[in-house]
Amino acid sequence: MVGRRETGGLSPHRFRALLQRKWLHSMELASHKEVVSAHKSGINSLQIDVTDARYLLSGAADGSVAVYDIELSTCYEHSTQTSKHEALFMVDKGVPRGHQYSVSCVHWYPIDTGIFVTGSFDNFVNVWDTNTAQFSSEDTKIRLCDIGSGAFTHTLTGHRDSVWAVQWSTKSEWVLVSGGCDGAIRFWDIRRAGCYQVLDQQCSQTGRRPPVLKAVLKNHERMENNTMASSSLRKSSSTKQRGQKRHFGVSASDSRTAHYGSVTGLQMTSDGSYLISAGKDSRLRLWDVESGCNTLVNYPSVYVRGHKGMRMALSPDSSLLFIPSDNSIQVRDVWSGHAYPSLRGHYDLTNCCTFHPQGQELYSGSNDRKILVWAPPCHSDTEEPEREVCEQTIRADEDAWSD
Amino acid sequence: MSAVVLALKALRFVLFTFTASHIDIVKLFVCLCIFVLIEDWIIPSDTEVALRMMQEQFPKIDKVSVPPFVLLSQLYSTVKDRTFVDRELEVMKQQRLVRVFKLSTGQDDFAIMFFHDYIAQVNAAKSRLEGKHPQKDLIIFDWYINHILPIHNDVGITYMHLESLLYRVGQSLHENHISLLIKAGFLVRQLAEDKSYWLAIPNIGFLLKNLTQGRKELLSLLSRRQYKEMLMSLLEKKKLRMSQLGMQFHIRDLIGSGQLCLSRTPAGWLVHIPRG
Repeated sequence: MVGRRETGGLSPHRFRALLQRKWLHSMELASHKEVVSAHKSGINSLQIDVTDARYLLSGAADGSVAVYDIELSTCYEHSTQTSKHEALFMVDKGVPRGHQYSVSCVHWYPIDTGIFVTGSFDNFVNVWDTNTAQFSSEDTKIRLCDIGSGAFTHTLTGHRDSVWAVQWSTKSEWVLVSGGCDGAIRFWDIRRAGCYQVLDQQCSQTGRRPPVLKAVLKNHERMENNTMASSSLRKSSSTKQRGQKRHFGVSASDSRTAHYGSVTGLQMTSDGSYLISAGKDSRLRLWDVESGCNTLVNYPSVYVRGHKGMRMALSPDSSLLFIPSDNSIQVRDVWSGHAYPSLRGHYDLTNCCTFHPQGQELYSGSNDRKILVWAPPCHSDTEEPEREVCEQTIRADEDAWSD
Repeated sequence: MSAVVLALKALRFVLFTFTASHIDIVKLFVCLCIFVLIEDWIIPSDTEVALRMMQEQFPKIDKVSVPPFVLLSQLYSTVKDRTFVDRELEVMKQQRLVRVFKLSTGQDDFAIMFFHDYIAQVNAAKSRLEGKHPQKDLIIFDWYINHILPIHNDVGITYMHLESLLYRVGQSLHENHISLLIKAGFLVRQLAEDKSYWLAIPNIGFLLKNLTQGRKELLSLLSRRQYKEMLMSLLEKKKLRMSQLGMQFHIRDLIGSGQLCLSRTPAGWLVHIPRG
């Protein structure tokens, strides 16, 4: 492969994609790196900061929060060639005004490094400064906090049960997605009142959305059909359209659901056009955000617990999905739902996983108090047959332009 | 059914090789036309074949008169690609070939029934209740067949939506109509929400009890074995005490829902409870 790159037979873009894909599919428990967990109970949430991609934040069920440096190791063991990463610091119940109960969610403040936000079952959201605004709560409302003043800036009401999963859209800075125990997934534009979209599991499309031209044509056909239909029909449809225009958004009484049972996890693809949700009905659904349709991808044999939020991770190129399920981390292809061998290593139920935004590492936290690092093997040697398969699949979904 | 499909597939293959070997434009065109016709119209999708096969294998039970239905998990156990099943099922739903019903036995349990079977059931219920209720109430069954089922593909329906569907054709809905549908077993109240209903199959309660108890019995039977596993051929000969649905029905259901696994051994297929 390197030879072909040298002779120019392989474009740099494809070379990189091929390598990345090969590494992604050969993830295993990393032997060169170890995160020494400082927690005395299960780990509920993990996140790596966005700007440096260097500090790993973890929140645990005993109310403690710790930060690890995942680049500089604290000590190096020569016998096994493992670098150990111990916690830089830890805050727990003993610290004044620390969390009393389990920390359910941790999040780095995206603008200023060194500030992070934690949400907990004691109904507090704490902001910590080491050198906002997202949390899941046991409330039916979502509150957005302004960390400057410490006051709520927004209260979003609409869910009829507690909210377990919240995520900011990766496409628009104003859009927030939330999943509740009532099985609904709602989209909010925080500049406007009310939510503007509710995902409906019955509304579905097969595969990717048709290109714009076809969609327009289809709409046109539908319009024609409408005009050909009886007058009463036309009347009802026109009143409907007018009604939709008058009320921007969706009323709170809208009872469409995205899952049977609570929604426990949300994850958006990096381009913000697809959303993956996990529900208590042990289903994962891939949603097309623009059309609000279920794309009917079935991710087989994933078990989702319903009593706790969980955090899934996506690989940077949005091709693989990592789902904490039982004692292992399940790996699925995002677009087809194909199951790859799962990552086994934890001794207890896994809660969360997060992918290193720049590198090729996956971090997972579990009830067995461990944080495990998954990485491709260090000394990888190229395998011929695998490469061929990789190349074919890449070519199939590659863009048409050249670079 | 499957034999017909096989024959068609063989024919398609022959045609294909024929087109490949003779490069005569006219012949090629004719063959391609036939090829496309067969592809589009005659050969059913894998999902449909599996559905029809399992519908025919549905056990005969004397006590209750429920037309044969297939569980979604059973489809998953037979067809390899689940995404494929979901998508083909959605297409079949929109073509009004099948209807999907949510079952109360689990959060991810769905029953699939052929559309004409369900319609026949509605008609049967109507003729059964003839004379016991006034004609103006009984007309709801006709509305149900003509105006609700073909348009509404969802597994649940709200009162408002029912009303609006009937309003569109100039009919108005009364409480009597709803209570009649509930009495006949075509609607079931949703407990979580007011004024919304699940569409349902009448008289299915007995089978649902069989289903849950049979699942439990089969799982406990396997978990009591030393290695929590058993050969498929041996297992299929066993009889379940609590369920009349038959061993095959339950094995397929549990494999599809991931509570049992299949693995290939030199002695045949082995059924076991997944480890870890």
